Amino acid sequence: MRKRAVFGSIVSSAAVLAVGWQIGVHDTATTTLSDAAPASAGGTPKASAAPSTAASAAPKATATPTPAQTAGPATPATAAATPSAAAEAPAASAAPSPAAAAPAPAPAPTAVDQNFTGSLISTRYGTIQVQITVNSGKITEVTALKLTDDGGRSVQISARAAPVLRSEVLSAQSANVASVSGATYTSDGYLQSVQSALDQAGL
Amino acid sequence: MQHVFETMGTVVSLRFDEGSVARSILDDVEHVFRTADTTFSLYNPASELSRIARGELTLTHSSEAVRDAYERAVHWRNATGGAFTAHRPDGVIDLSGIVKALAIEAAGEILDAAGSAGWLLNAGGDVLARVGDTESGKNAWRVGIVDPLDRTVLLCSFELDETRAALATSGTAERGEHVWRTDARQSFSQVSVLAPDIVTADVLATAILSGGQQTSDLATEQFGVEVLTVDANGELLITPWLRNAVSTEPH
Repeated sequence: MRKRAVFGSIVSSAAVLAVGWQIGVHDTATTTLSDAAPASAGGTPKASAAPSTAASAAPKATATPTPAQTAGPATPATAAATPSAAAEAPAASAAPSPAAAAPAPAPAPTAVDQNFTGSLISTRYGTIQVQITVNSGKITEVTALKLTDDGGRSVQISARAAPVLRSEVLSAQSANVASVSGATYTSDGYLQSVQSALDQAGL
Repeated sequence: MQHVFETMGTVVSLRFDEGSVARSILDDVEHVFRTADTTFSLYNPASELSRIARGELTLTHSSEAVRDAYERAVHWRNATGGAFTAHRPDGVIDLSGIVKALAIEAAGEILDAAGSAGWLLNAGGDVLARVGDTESGKNAWRVGIVDPLDRTVLLCSFELDETRAALATSGTAERGEHVWRTDARQSFSQVSVLAPDIVTADVLATAILSGGQQTSDLATEQFGVEVLTVDANGELLITPWLRNAVSTEPH
């Protein structure tokens, strides 16, 4: 569940950032993902931040949150941030980030989605850049815009193998197979193999 | 109809959708495997590869079959960052990681050319399927993956189709540690790869067993294959499409 931890850390920092942005700062902020675990699979988690008051005439400030070490199973869906957390952070401005690669989604009829793109963050697993979508003071989406491995190649984490419980794949559907794949058996080993039983049954 | 025969120190199981297949076709398929064995086996002192290993024959003077197989093995070495290799650590050319898959591929071409409807070829645990049209529609071939912790049990099962026709599994289960590992940290004990063709599936399964998680990520990202790995503790990693295909729960 390290991927949840890393997304949790991304989301929680994004939530803090969002608040910072909401209070009037629309440039980028730098976060440091210290030793984040690699996100390994799955789609983009939906995140919802605790509702905060709509943009007001707060003093201009940028937040530089540093997420806590991702030891526990942070749950993306419950990452919360408070306005005060952002306001107390020391002011720091980051270099301008590249334009967001993903087009902004069509605005909803009642509210406007705003997209904010984070800086490129270098982790020991590669480079990460995250875009958050804010609607009515809530983060509605967190999208990984850029992921590269340490060789600089683009990474599609969604294609990767991820942990799965045996109970989820073991089932009665293991019956009625026509053939079986396993580590190469010798001619002797074949005699004790499931494949041998299948062949016997069919002969 | 079925046909089972021994070759390459293992067993080939061949199944057909319907009807019978001419004996000559079965002979041709058997011939492909036997020729590969006599050409490439390092257990056979008379094979071309054994002669190359002893320095009696140079690669450049070897048969076209050997040079072609070597070329493909080197291609995969380059494509996997060296996780798959055409050489033993002592420098001897060893194509055993690709020869069986090449034989399965060639046998499949023979079966296709013979106009067989659907067929399923299993050579020592590596499977290639051709989904044929039968009177009752498409006949999908359901295949299973062995649990390395209990080889009488299957981990899961799913159906092969036209776009994912090949399933290869590489492991440490029976022949011991026959794969040279490039990643000392990794602990996969069995790796299954589902791919459009058997050479891609077999080579990448071997490469991932050797190279570990890093090679698994490379394989899924660059070649779009599906992967199921089992580590020494029996823990599973699985790619999204395959997870859906084998899952008992809807996602």
